[in-house]
Amino acid sequence: MAQKFEVSGLDEYKEKLESLSSSGKTIIAMFSGGKDPATGQSWCPDCVVAQPVVDKAVSQASEDFIYVYCSVGGRDFWKDKNCVFRTDPSLKLKSVPTLIKVGTPQRLEEAQCANPKLVEMLFED
Amino acid sequence: MAARTLRSVFTLRSVAAASSAGSLLCKVSNNVQPLKQNSFIYNKFVTGIWSSRKSFHHSSSRPTSESAMAPVGLPPADLVEQYIKQSKVIIFSKSFCPFCNQVKALFNKLGVKFTALELDELENGDAIQEALFARTGLKTVPNTFINGTHVGGCDDTLNRHEAGQLLPLLHVKTHDYEYDLVVIGGGSGGLAASKEAAALGAKVAVLDFVQPTPLGTQWGLGGTCVNVGCIPKKLMHQAALLAHGLQDSRAYGWQTPESIEHSWGTLVEGVQNHIGSLNWGYRVQLRDKNVEYVNAYTTFVDPHTLRTVDRRGKERTITSDKILVAVGGRPRYPDLPGARELCITSDDLFSLSHPPGKTLLVGASYIALECAGFLAALGFDVTVMVRSIFLRGFDQQMAEKVADYMERQGVKFIRGAVPTLFEQVEEGTPGLVRVTATSDEQGTFSDEYNTVVLAIGRDPCTKDMGLNNAGVTLAKSGKIIVNDEEQSSAPNVYAIGDVIEAGLELTPVAIQAGRLLARRLYGGATKKMDYQNVATTVFTPLEYGCCGLSEEDAITKYGAEDVEIYHNGFWPLEFTVAHRPESDCYAKLICVKSQNELVVGFHIVGPNAGEITQGFAIALQLGATKQNFDDLVGIHPTCAEVFTTMTVTKRSGKDASASGC
Ligand SMILES: Cc1cc2nc3c(=O)[nH]c(=O)nc-3n(C[C@H](O)[C@H](O)[C@H](O)COP(=O)(O)OP(=O)(O)OC[C@H]3O[C@@H](n4cnc5c(N)ncnc54)[C@H](O)[C@@H]3O)c2cc1C
Repeated sequence: MAQKFEVSGLDEYKEKLESLSSSGKTIIAMFSGGKDPATGQSWCPDCVVAQPVVDKAVSQASEDFIYVYCSVGGRDFWKDKNCVFRTDPSLKLKSVPTLIKVGTPQRLEEAQCANPKLVEMLFED
Repeated sequence: MAARTLRSVFTLRSVAAASSAGSLLCKVSNNVQPLKQNSFIYNKFVTGIWSSRKSFHHSSSRPTSESAMAPVGLPPADLVEQYIKQSKVIIFSKSFCPFCNQVKALFNKLGVKFTALELDELENGDAIQEALFARTGLKTVPNTFINGTHVGGCDDTLNRHEAGQLLPLLHVKTHDYEYDLVVIGGGSGGLAASKEAAALGAKVAVLDFVQPTPLGTQWGLGGTCVNVGCIPKKLMHQAALLAHGLQDSRAYGWQTPESIEHSWGTLVEGVQNHIGSLNWGYRVQLRDKNVEYVNAYTTFVDPHTLRTVDRRGKERTITSDKILVAVGGRPRYPDLPGARELCITSDDLFSLSHPPGKTLLVGASYIALECAGFLAALGFDVTVMVRSIFLRGFDQQMAEKVADYMERQGVKFIRGAVPTLFEQVEEGTPGLVRVTATSDEQGTFSDEYNTVVLAIGRDPCTKDMGLNNAGVTLAKSGKIIVNDEEQSSAPNVYAIGDVIEAGLELTPVAIQAGRLLARRLYGGATKKMDYQNVATTVFTPLEYGCCGLSEEDAITKYGAEDVEIYHNGFWPLEFTVAHRPESDCYAKLICVKSQNELVVGFHIVGPNAGEITQGFAIALQLGATKQNFDDLVGIHPTCAEVFTTMTVTKRSGKDASASGC
């Protein structure tokens, strides 16, 4: 099983990547709408659907992978066209959920993140 | 406008032809000798609308008495069973019913052949409808069956299609191989064919493997176009156009500094990142559409058996009912000392980690000229060594225009020369290579270059594939000989794209041929690839777009007397303020006098020629005449409007140089 981390906001995300940079492992990051503390669920319905699919793939992935779950914050913060997650040159997120293989052009967006065949492919090679 | 009239005439006639033939058949149907031919008509009807005069002639030729015969006098219930059994797709329909038309339109759009039985035109139509009700519980029309499976009415059919469950019904497995279709080569053609076949319900795998170049360059899924062809080339062309734009900008008031640096590294990184995302996108698409992707080199064991070897040397044997060879081609290396060790090709150039420096391009293909064009615009010292003519196969007057322009932009041409030897002077990135060459004029001579790009042609990747094990016949060129349905001499082996003899080495051609083939194999469609009037563009800094025949080919085909050529130089408005030369851009139309000045060749050298030519190509496809071009009202001010006002013929010898408006 891949090692798992959970961060919130761009700064924490970048710090986490920095600290993992020497691990030599492949990092898969999941960007998801923040969780409502009351329900423990994301405000973004697509993220809610995708999460169990991603979790399953993470639990089946090899030790060579590290999984970082990153909350992009509340709905209003994310919907802002100038949200840092949208403007950051290394991310340029267009939607949540987005799954990326860090440092590669490989990414899955929205409904793709809920498709087990595609999510598994991200955890291959 | 005239082009539009032309089209509607065909449409009307086709409808007339279809319906008259249709009613003829319905009479036959009254005697209960129905079907098949009805579907024939519907398909033809649609072909009649969309393609050229050829199909119009088809439409008017009456389908004859080949119609399948259901035995006379069967009880209606048995008759219904017969109908269902006899056709892959049957729609019990009524000729006036809009819902029936929706269903027919869907199958037409999908290119799937179907039979429509118009119950209102049959004497025993009511009885058949009753029998259908008894069988399906559905009283109304349309009532659709595919391969014996009851699909249902209009909504049932449309919804089932929406859910991706309609087309798979078309396909029934009739063999014991692992796959219905294995595609060798995940390039433009192979990917298109595999996705289409899978969508039609076939079990499909794509086997793709990229052999590294002598320099070690390798790339991902997608084939030549995406990785080392159209895509990086056009992006680098754009970098060149921006350089021209920067020069012009000062005349338009921008205080652009005189000297601006270009970063090759940034360009390559941007281009390669985009390619990387496309590679991934293809993998996602294949996975999403249930096409298995195997990254392995493939050879034939026999017509149905393939052997694959992956990167790690792991072997696998795969069997398939049908096999599609779409392996494309790779740059040719001359058999000269130092060629493989010291030179690169287009396979390496777009990902070169260092600026190429002083560059020699060997060859006069469009690839050589395009690369020379963008490298020169980026500021490199560029020479092109040409054995004989530019752009073989293209209109030679236009080819010379393209080269002239490039020469004025600083590209040096050595004509009538061939290299004989490449020697390393210095290692490095870039290093230095001494190139020795000979020409009639200069004898033996040599010069030194940082980078030598060979672009002398491409060879099909058929050499070590064991195609003879499958009984596939190759042409002398090494390309695969196929019939007009892309079928090779081995009946279950097909080929498309760059690898076929007498094809066109263009991405959209490979894609179209692949899609149509898949629809014929798994969708019951009959439409074949039309290789005529395919437009193309050479993306030199000043683009050259063309469709149809070159002047040379038109004269060979129709005779010089029967060919009328209209031509015009033009000075794009955007060139005027920027003080660019007046004589660079040029357009010509090649017409056949005896055929009402039918336009058979369209040529333009100028900015955005690719965009212009794409639109006009449909006029050629629809058989437009010079009069149609004259009747067309231009968009002012554009370059393309030059085609609406051409009056000077070449024959007249009158001045055709640019004039203002
Ligand atoms: C520099 C350049 C610029 C171009 N520009 C344009 C353009 O602007 N417009 C245009 O329309 N066309 C352009 N083309 C042509 C276009 O790229 C090709 O026509 C097109 O890619 C052909 O597609 P294909 O499917 O036949 O083969 P390809 O795209 O070449 O794909 C074949 C695939 O099969 C793989 N393969 C080969 N042998 C095997 C084997 N034994 N086992 C497994 N896999 C194998 C190859 O590695 C490759 O991935 C350009 C080509 C080049 C080189």
